[in-house]
Amino acid sequence: MQQKYLFGRGWSVFVPILLLLPGFILYLMIALGPSIATSVYSFTDATGIRGAPVNWVGLENYEEFLLRGVASRDNIDALKRTLIFCFFVTTIQFTVGLFVALLLNQRIRGRMFFRTLFFVPVILGVAIQGLIWKLFLLPSGGPVAQFLSLFGVQSEFLGGQPSEAFAWVIVVQIWANMGITMVIFLAGLQTIPNELYEAGRIDGAGRWDLFRHVTWPMLTPSVNTNIVLNIIGSLQAWQLFLVLIGYRPGTQVLGYLVFAQGFGQTSGAVTSAFRQGFAAAASIVLFFLVLIIGLAAQYFVNRREQKLYV
Amino acid sequence: MKKTRWIVITMLVVLSLVLVACGGTEETTEPAVEPTVAETTEEQAEEVAETGEEPVAEEAPAEDAAPLTLRVLIHQNPPMVEFMEAFNDKFEAAYPNVTVDMSIVETGDLATVTQTRLSANDVDVIDIFGFSNAAQPYMKDVTPPNWQTLIEAGLLLDITDQTFVANYDEATIRDAGSYNDKVYSINLGRVSYSGVFVNKDLFAANGVEIPTTWDELVAACQTFTDAGLSCMTVGGADGWPVFVGSYGLLGAMYPDQEAMVEGLWTGTLKWDDPETLKLWERYQTYTTQMLEAGVTGLSHDAGPARFAAGDVAMMPSGVWQAPALEAAEPEFDWSYIPFPGSDNPEDNQYLFGKYDQGWAVAANSPNQAAALDYLAMFSEPDNYQEFVNAVGFIPTQPTATLETKLGAEVAPYLENYRVGFEQFWVAPKGAGQWANGSQGASWFQPFNEWDDAAALAAQSQADLQAGLDASQ
Repeated sequence: MQQKYLFGRGWSVFVPILLLLPGFILYLMIALGPSIATSVYSFTDATGIRGAPVNWVGLENYEEFLLRGVASRDNIDALKRTLIFCFFVTTIQFTVGLFVALLLNQRIRGRMFFRTLFFVPVILGVAIQGLIWKLFLLPSGGPVAQFLSLFGVQSEFLGGQPSEAFAWVIVVQIWANMGITMVIFLAGLQTIPNELYEAGRIDGAGRWDLFRHVTWPMLTPSVNTNIVLNIIGSLQAWQLFLVLIGYRPGTQVLGYLVFAQGFGQTSGAVTSAFRQGFAAAASIVLFFLVLIIGLAAQYFVNRREQKLYV
Repeated sequence: MKKTRWIVITMLVVLSLVLVACGGTEETTEPAVEPTVAETTEEQAEEVAETGEEPVAEEAPAEDAAPLTLRVLIHQNPPMVEFMEAFNDKFEAAYPNVTVDMSIVETGDLATVTQTRLSANDVDVIDIFGFSNAAQPYMKDVTPPNWQTLIEAGLLLDITDQTFVANYDEATIRDAGSYNDKVYSINLGRVSYSGVFVNKDLFAANGVEIPTTWDELVAACQTFTDAGLSCMTVGGADGWPVFVGSYGLLGAMYPDQEAMVEGLWTGTLKWDDPETLKLWERYQTYTTQMLEAGVTGLSHDAGPARFAAGDVAMMPSGVWQAPALEAAEPEFDWSYIPFPGSDNPEDNQYLFGKYDQGWAVAANSPNQAAALDYLAMFSEPDNYQEFVNAVGFIPTQPTATLETKLGAEVAPYLENYRVGFEQFWVAPKGAGQWANGSQGASWFQPFNEWDDAAALAAQSQADLQAGLDASQ
């Protein structure tokens, strides 16, 4: 049988390559190139200032980040905090997103309105998200403070204990991104044929049985997508920390540490040095963390998907 | 086949456009159009007639000078922004071929934006803080400050020979704008951040004298608290105002702040010495007993309005908040005093601070001549005096005076003005997050987790010592 060529024969077979070339060049410039440059920078004392000398320092940045003095203790703490943040954001955002999607997939009045309402935070910028919650969580006179005061509870929210401020950033991160999780689940729910539910009901299945034996397995692609997106998104998150609590001891995550070191934001002084070589080393550590956890998650969700469809 | 050929041609055109768009434009290397003397204004003519002296930099360009845009970068400070907008109009009127394009960024973003725009040759005049935190001979293995790297990278113009530099006092030029005997920046003013704004009416109404020692301050706060009032407020939501508010306490106990930094580096002073422990205990008293409840949610910018509301007795903060305080409540009667942090009244006579905003010119600027004209015109005594009055800086031109209420308040202490700890401090690599004890006040509850002064002092010293040991 003669093979069909979508773009013709002869030199026309290069058309797909040409079509892919602009995208590849763009990817090379804004993703792959900087990533490779970052890994090279991590072995230098680069400041990011054009014209400033860049010296090769070998593994010194990694040694300083992971081993030197007690700064390494703070860095490892930031790493642990990143994992804690990732765990809570991923699990809660996933669960709440699924629950809301299931609710809004019902034939209820105003469901389009509620879908929009839950998705709106996603389209707001981080600065706006932060401002809204800063006002919402004002310790004196803010709505949450007033509500809690009804029960005799007082809190400093974002400006108080590091653990409490950290917990509030988890809440805001979930609020800000739950809409995406919900939309992915909604899209998955709408691909499930109604006949499966009807057949289940005829067989006497209750609501829980229908969810467990029809919805959940059929949602597998959405579940997998959300798990991977939530894990990677939360491991890389740092902007909300900047906007909501700033660089305070006991609250930094790895992504924020990279930014603060790279752009002289660690001490609050305006003359701090830019340590972009050191920040590059920290970001490579973060990269490996994302890679290991991301690949592990990908492996498990792929295996689950294969089990279901084979 | 024809269709495929068209697709290929179209793709090639698109690809070419993408590549062209991504390529950098050739840098303009031609020298800037230098404004030339065209005519003397009537006002200048009168000035010459009166004084017999030529004006310093009131040169206007020729009518046919090519138009150019002067890109100026400043940080957010409302009174300064307002002044600069008016000054830009004045400059544009004097130099009709120049349009000033002024960008304003948040203070915390200034260093990043400066570095980015200097590297991209996208700025002509930059706002740069006084040169500080330089590596000292006793410091080992520390990263040079950002300003030093900018100079060494050749990004700041050497302005040593510019005539307007002489308008500023020698100490300012030497300490805040020079490196390796060359001048790179003119600094526009000192600020004090160690004082306390005092609500005079509230003190009088409660029969409290202005405190001159730590014990008097504690007693005053107790009186206000007993009367149902708040003793102090700061913009706690931004974090830094909490420890900046305690810089006066640090300074009162250690008036020689440069020696303090050296002592900590060389080991002759420790954060957990018995004497220093008193500092930590006072930090804790300041955060837990003196600051009003709810300051963790109050932003720095909202501080003056909160203080001017009239039911808080004191606000430890920098002099830069004076214009905002006056704007918030013009009739409000306040005073600015050194933080009475020491038991000895003599040690409570110092104001500590830093060199604030300065101007520098991008070395690669295609508009260097216009940029220098901009600085020259700004540095003219009359313009500088207006600037000082608007912003509230302690002047760095010897002929200028701070003719505001704040000026009168700080005048008695100007002889005792000193540069503060944070301008000298550089943390050794490997030191932990608690090593900079000057920020200690903000680590106590409710701002952070600590509630034991001795334990925190020991932790601070341990974090510093680990860095010192690592740098050996």
